[in-house]
Formats: sequence, C-alpha cells, structure tokens
Amino acid sequence: MRFAYIAISAALLASAYLLGGMNRTSDSWTPGNAMTGTGVQQAAASFDRMTTGSTGVAPKTDRTADEVEIAQVTVGQPAPVTPPTRPKVDESALRYFARKGDTARLQAEISRLRALYPDWTPPEDPMAIPVNADRELERMWQLYSESRYAEVRKAIADRELAESGWTPPADLLDRLSVAEARAQLTNASDLNQYDTVVRIGAETPSLLTCSEVDVLWRVAEAFARTERPGRARDAYLYVLNNCNVPSERLATVQKASTLLPATMVEDLLARERPGPDGTMEFDAIRDDLARNLVAEGDNDATITVPPQYLGRVERLVESGGSASDALLLGWYYLRRNDMAAAETWFRKARGIEDSASASQGLALTLIDRKEPKEAEEVMYRWRDGSKDAQQTYFAATANLLAISPPLPLTEEVLARIASETISGRDAQTAQQFGWYARELKQHKTAADWFTTALSWKPDDEPSAYGLALSRNELNDETGVAEIQRQWADRSERIARLGETEPQEEKATREKEAAAVARPAVRTAPAAVETAPRAATSRTTQGAVRQRGCSFTVDPRSLSPAVALARGWCLMDMNRPLEAARAFEVALAAPGVKEREDAAYGQSLAYLRAGLTSKAAVSAARAPQGTERIVELQSAILRDRAVASFNAGRNRDTILILDQLSQLGTEQQDLMVLKGYAYLNLNRFIDARRIFQALAEAGNREGAKGLVEVRRAQFKGNQN
Amino acid sequence: MMQSLAKAIAAGLFAVVLASGAASKPLISAEAWNAYKENFLDTSGRIIDTGNGNISHSEGQGYGLLLAYYADSPPDFEQIWSFTRTELLVRDDGLAVWRWDPSKRPHVTDINNATDGDILIAYALALAGARWNRDDYTAAASRIATALASKAVVAHGERLLLLPAVTGFAAADRPDGPVINPSYYIFEAFPLLAQLAPQADWTKLSGDGLALVEKMQFGPRQLPTDWVSLAGEMRPADGFPGEYGYNALRIPLYLARAGNPAPALVQRLRKQTTGPEDSLQLMTFDDAGPGTLLTDPGYRFINHLVACVAEAKPIPEDLRQFRPTLYYPSTLHLLGLAYAAEKHPGCL
Repeated sequence: MRFAYIAISAALLASAYLLGGMNRTSDSWTPGNAMTGTGVQQAAASFDRMTTGSTGVAPKTDRTADEVEIAQVTVGQPAPVTPPTRPKVDESALRYFARKGDTARLQAEISRLRALYPDWTPPEDPMAIPVNADRELERMWQLYSESRYAEVRKAIADRELAESGWTPPADLLDRLSVAEARAQLTNASDLNQYDTVVRIGAETPSLLTCSEVDVLWRVAEAFARTERPGRARDAYLYVLNNCNVPSERLATVQKASTLLPATMVEDLLARERPGPDGTMEFDAIRDDLARNLVAEGDNDATITVPPQYLGRVERLVESGGSASDALLLGWYYLRRNDMAAAETWFRKARGIEDSASASQGLALTLIDRKEPKEAEEVMYRWRDGSKDAQQTYFAATANLLAISPPLPLTEEVLARIASETISGRDAQTAQQFGWYARELKQHKTAADWFTTALSWKPDDEPSAYGLALSRNELNDETGVAEIQRQWADRSERIARLGETEPQEEKATREKEAAAVARPAVRTAPAAVETAPRAATSRTTQGAVRQRGCSFTVDPRSLSPAVALARGWCLMDMNRPLEAARAFEVALAAPGVKEREDAAYGQSLAYLRAGLTSKAAVSAARAPQGTERIVELQSAILRDRAVASFNAGRNRDTILILDQLSQLGTEQQDLMVLKGYAYLNLNRFIDARRIFQALAEAGNREGAKGLVEVRRAQFKGNQN
Repeated sequence: MMQSLAKAIAAGLFAVVLASGAASKPLISAEAWNAYKENFLDTSGRIIDTGNGNISHSEGQGYGLLLAYYADSPPDFEQIWSFTRTELLVRDDGLAVWRWDPSKRPHVTDINNATDGDILIAYALALAGARWNRDDYTAAASRIATALASKAVVAHGERLLLLPAVTGFAAADRPDGPVINPSYYIFEAFPLLAQLAPQADWTKLSGDGLALVEKMQFGPRQLPTDWVSLAGEMRPADGFPGEYGYNALRIPLYLARAGNPAPALVQRLRKQTTGPEDSLQLMTFDDAGPGTLLTDPGYRFINHLVACVAEAKPIPEDLRQFRPTLYYPSTLHLLGLAYAAEKHPGCL
C-alpha cells in the first residue's frame, strides 16, 4: 500500500482525529499496463489481488457510523508517525497559480503545502516562480483550475497512453482526488446524504482543513443531523481551534448554534478570541443566541433557559435595548407563572414601545393579580389586533365586572366595554354586565344583558339563572315561568326559584354574585377558586398559546396602528400576502412615520411574494429614507433582473443590472447573471470581461463562465 | 482473519472460469466510438440522453462506461467515471441517484436509484478494473454490488427478485407490489456481481429472473411488458403503460449477450416483435393495436443479431456500420455490435 501522504502534519493529524481512522487508498496506478485479454476472468483475478491485500486496497464496505466512532477513538491516541524524511515538494500548482496571478488559490496552495510538509518553506516571492515548462501539464492545471475535473482525468490518461514512462505529478493526482471528493461531498450534502458526507470526509483528510471550511461545516452538519452532536461539536471546535478568518469563525458558531444543544454551543463560545479593538469576537452571537434561547423558552414552558442567557437579555434591555428583548423576557416568565417578573418586563417593553404583545402580556399579569381595571385600560387600545388580543380584552372586562362589590366605573369605561361586548358578541362579559347591573339593582338592565348573553350562548345556564332572578325582581312571573320551562331538565336552581324564603333567597343571591364568573370553569366545577381568578387562568393559557397574528382577521376592521403591527407580525410568520393587506390599511395612518413604515412593509411583503411590480408601486406610496430607498430599489431591480433573464430578455437584464450597479450594489451573483446575459447575446468580449473579473476575485462561477464563453465562441466559429 | 476469508473467496473465484476474449483490436472501432462520443458525451463526462430532454441518468453513465471499455479507451472511461462518481454516487447506501437534469438546481431532484444503472456501472467498473489493473475501479464495483445485494435483491415467496429501485416497488410500497422490470435483469453481469458481492445468491436471482421472463406472456402477442406486477397472478403493473415498450425491447439483446441461456424465449420474442421491413414492433397490451414500428438501426439491429446467433443469418450490411441517431438506440446498437464482434464475428 502506498500512502499518498508520507508525512502527516499536525493539522492533518488533527483532522484525522476529527473523523476517525481511515485508510487512504486512492492510490496511484501504474499506467500503460499491457492490456492482455479481456473480460470476466481478469475481473475475477483482480478481486483476488484486491481482497488478499497484495496491492493494499481494502475492500470498502459501508462503514457504519459506529465503526467510524470506534476508529476515531483509536486514532485519537498519539499515533507513532515515522519522522518525515525531507520530502520533495511538488510546486507545480504553485507555479501555475502564480503565473495566472490567482493569489487566492496561490495562498490556499501555500497553506495546503505547509500543512502537508511542515518543514517546507514557501518561496519568498511566489509570483517570481518560473513558469511550468511542460505545456501539457500546464493545460492540465488549467483544466483543474476551471473545475473541469473529468477533463483532467481524461488528459492524464491520454498522455499516459501517448507517452510511455510519463507519470502525472503526485500533487496533481492528489489535488484532483480531493477536488472530486469535495464535489461529491457537496452534492451529497445538498441531497441530505449525510452518511456519504461523513464517509468522504473520513476518506479525504485534506478536505478537512481551514481552507475548506465549507466542507468542515457540511461534515459537522452531517454529524449533527445523524444524531452525533459530539462529533459535530468536535468538527466545529476544529475550526475554532485552528482557523483564523473572522467571518468564518463567526459563521461557525452561528451554524453550530442552530444544530447543537446549548451546552455544546457553550464549549464553542469558550474558544472566543479578543478582537483588536478589545471586544470579544462572539459578542454579537452571544446576544442572538441568548435571544433565541429565551424565545424557544417562550414557546415551550418545559425548557429551562440557563440564567446567564436570561441575564444577558436582561442586560440588553437595561442598557437601552429594544422592546422586543423585553417582550421575550415577559413571555418567558409568564409561561412559567412568574407573574411579577413577567409584569416587570412587559411594563419595560411598553415603556420602550407600546405594542399589542406587550399590552396583552401586561394585561394578563394584571388580571392574574386581580387588577382587571388596569388590564382593561391597557388592552383597550389593542383589542382589535388579533382574536387573541380580543380574548385578553374580554378576560379583563369580564373579570372587572365580576368584582364584588362592584367597582365604581366611569360612564366612559362602561360605555366602551358595552360597545366592545356587543360588537365582539362576548357572552361572558355580557353575563357579567348582568350581574353588575343586578348588584346595582338595575334589574331591567340586568335582564337585558342576560338575555343578550343567552342569545349568543343559548346554553349559558348562569345567564338563564340571572335572567330568571331579574324577571323575578321585576315581578314578571310569566317570564320566570318561561325560563323555568325551558330549563326544567337542566337547572335545579332555576326550577326551585321562588320556592325559597326571601331570607334564603338573599343568601342564594350573594352566593351567585361570587359565582358570576363560574361559567369559565364550568367543565371543572370542582375548582375552588375565586371567580375572577378562574376566568383568568383559563383565558391566560389560551391567550399565550394563541398570541401573535395566527388568527385570520379582516384587516379593514383594524385601526391603522394595529394593522401596521399585524403586518409585521404576518411578515414574521412569512405570510406576505396577508401582510400586504394589513399594511394597506396601515397606509391610512395619520403619521408620516407610520405611513412610511406601512409602504416599506408592503413593498417588502410584495417582494417576498414575488410580486415585484406591486412592490415598486408600494415603495412609491410614501416617502422613504435614503437607506430604505436603496434597499427596496435594489431588491426590486434584482428580482426584475432575474425575472427578465429567466424570460430570455437579455438586453433588459443588462439594462436593469446597470441601474442596479448605479445603486452601488453589484453583487457577484448578479454579475454572473450579467455575464450570461452578454453571452446569450453573443457579446463574448463583454461576457469574458465580466467572468474574468469574477474569476480573478476567486469566484468559481467566473471560471465556469469563461469556459462557457470559450465553448460558445468555438461553436460560433464552427457554424 | 479478514485476509484468510478473502483468500478463500478468491480461491473459489478461480474455479469459475468464464468467457474470455483476448482483444487484439477493440470490440468497438475507434471510428464508431468517436461518432458516439461526439453525439452523446459531454466534456464533463456526462452521457446525454438526446431523446429525453438532454438529461443524464445512471443507466447512461453505465452504458457509457461499458462502451468505453469495449472501445479500449481508458481516458474516456476516466472521464465518464469522474462525473458518475462525483455527481451520481452520493447516496448513503452507496448506490447512484438515477437522474441528473442540467436544467434543474440541484441537478438531482429525486434521490432514488435505478437498479439497472447501478448494475451497468458496477459491471463496467469490474471489467475495466480487471483489464486495466485498476484496483480503485474494482473496489468501487464491489461497493456498488454489495449495496445492490442488500438493497435490491429481495425474496418473494420462493423466488429472488431484482427490485427496479430501492424505493417504490416492493410489496410494502404499492398495492400491486412487488413490481419488477424484466429489462433490468442484465443477465451477463450476474456472474461478476456474484463474485463482487457473494452475500446475495445471484445465480438463483438469475435463474428465477429467467423463469419469470419466460412466463411473461401478455396481450395479443404474448410478450412481456416493461413493468410487471408479481402481487398475485403475474400481470402488467398498474400505473405504467401496459406495453412491450422501450424498456422491454432490450430483453433479447441482454439475453443474447448473456450467452443465450433461453434460446426458445429469444426466438419467440424475435418473431413476435419483427415488423414490416425488419422494423422492431412494439406491443400495447391494452388496446391490442398494431404497435409502434421502430426503424432506427439500433432497434432493428436487435432482432437481426438474435437471428444471426440462432440461425447464422448474416446481419444486413447497412446495420453493420454504426451511425449515431439518438442516445438510446445508438447505445443498444454499439452494445450489439460489440457482442457480435466478440462472439459471432461471422455475423458481421
């Protein structure tokens, strides 16, 4: 067996540790062997060689995950490595990239060779390295640099046939295998074939280096998705321990945080390095991570978020943070019935910026501590925001009216509660209005409310009982008898009404007052709670579960401010068309700022829905800040460019992209588009210029594009 | 221990002496192969199905590898293998994804395999590995064969079956399952697969397959259909056109190439599918119409080859020369020519 790597550097050992033991067997093969005979007989003989190991290719069966794990353990021991004799380093790739001026690849090659051969010193001025004298080899390197691996394979085999005794440089073969392995691994990863990803990674240690961080991420993801989080963490740790590009380090932790449990993410964060300006490199991530964790805790009460994350979000709020951070905390504590803490954070959130969510949260805590009056005040403004907000509002009103003895409420408050109750058809509040009126001896009013409640909820026995009591007070014997008939089988207390002595009847009434809110716990009559509390706890749970904008509401019934909030909420839920309708309502807002927000939101919503022309119209409906103008126009132009390219309108595509570049946002992927648009128009020089620039910037699409240009030109010449 | 086991297996292999043919000149001429490559081989190593939206598939890659082997062209084999490996051989189980579409991103939209494609790839790799001393090819062939043995060879009652794909055709996957495709039985490859992956009984699979194909006598002309249900009484599978179609027309070619183990069956197929003016006549099981007539040289070649093998009738002059048309008939044409050149040179 001939190992391609005789000298294994520390970095490669580390990667070997990462992935477990591997036999590197993509070996050289001696070309030009006599082709004697054909067919099956030889095939049989070659299996013999293979399986007896005389040529050392181990049978590659499917290695299971466990075997990889076991192998990892053994390789983890410090392996006796034969001290490398000073190797002959193949610098032909180096020369090729230097001559091409491809500094990105040149640097990658230097670091790769360094990793392979720790004793090797790169040339002082790599750009001064002499050109490869071998033209054919030069051409192979060129094909390689254009990612045309199948053609390199063919070129090598062609030359071996044509020129006996020629063998390809080991470096070329090696790099080619690695490049093909990278392509295969990437394809497998894109198709979620995680075992393949891990297997190729294990077979190709030189893919597991800092210059291949994308591969490392894919391998880590493959481990994480196949329930091997420990291995995934090790792969991420490898990047953090060995690699130095700040953006890649940051991205590593970001990726890990979506795939690994929090404790493992902690391990990664511990590898943080201080930046030149004294800040720690993962600060921003830690904030987001803390937010994400607390947000997860909002959705799932069984999750306990470690105190340091809660503390981090708390500090964010205290140090001038956003209302949304405070809201995260409010809902987190509310889910855990820590109402006092929840109230604190909801109040802070409202202090920074009032919103439906903050008000709803605060209202729920207020109802909980029997302050429905304030809850009603807090929620009134937001009552129409969602079905959920409305439920919270009615929980406040029902509880407010149920308090005994009745709180003195102003005419204004009573009027608005009544109006909301009617328009929202809330039987619960209507019933409580009945009891409230009864307490105030307004029996006619009470009868009306009980009747109303029954019309919305015909099986509401307490309302029927209240109505019977009220009619009794009003000496409406016929009315009482009618109710008694209707409820004959269903309510003993209605049936027995009038049988009791006046003294006892009063007692009953008082009891009834305490039970006014009981309907909320009708299904659990054993609950011995005070009425308002019972009403609250049920509504609270419902409200928390359904907060947000998950319910469908016709936005035209909303106030512009509520519609605006709903629009953003719907955007968060990725329901752009509904969001656009909500923003439409918000466009009627009196304030310039709100209208701008609404137009901006509607534009984004249409963009997300793929309705570019509508987005453009929306963007023009209110004056926008410069930054937003650029953002929207860029996004709109970008979509238009892609659409017109896909529709084959190449000239339009170029015009649009020119406009876009004037906004100063010429991104590489759009340049690729432009290159192909030129190519489709047979404007080869322009296409080549663009792809050349991209290729020089190290963009692979650039190299591919150049190939396409050449092909197209070649075809053009043929025709 | 591993080694002694391997030795024991290898010793067994020597007992199995199979066809050999020392090739002094390639079974496919350089001229024919160049014409094929110009029409169907992309520089990326992709065999292009020109009759099918220019997509590629594992079957095409397998055919391409096999033809490159018959053309004695290690460079082209390398080129096709590079694409096959990096783009198709990505499944966790070691088999190839079956379809690759240049117009889609990612190019692979369905990760299922096609068993005949896997067989062709493994078969070509095993042949080439032996002839060109490429242990990496042999190892790759072994890996695919092993995966086939565990994923595509299944027992059904007393029989062993070859599932057309890992997903979608087994008894558990569909009401009329198991469903097989008789043209996925590439009989000539089974002896090699048996050596590569001895854990499955490929000899039994081959024998059972042959017996099944002999029993497939549907429709007015008593022919197999492309897809056959074995759920109860054998019948054309649901949801596929019930026809002796573009799949099934390969059956006699494969049987001839496998050394003609069922001469009566092959002759019956020839008789029932020979249309006017030596066209190849397909059959629709349902409407019992006359059946499409295929006149492409690659299709017409099949019945002539069968006739020559059985009755030493020479193959018409115009079919002895390869002229590329579309990917599929051209591929079959070259496979037929290579076989005739090796085993029945008198036919040419």
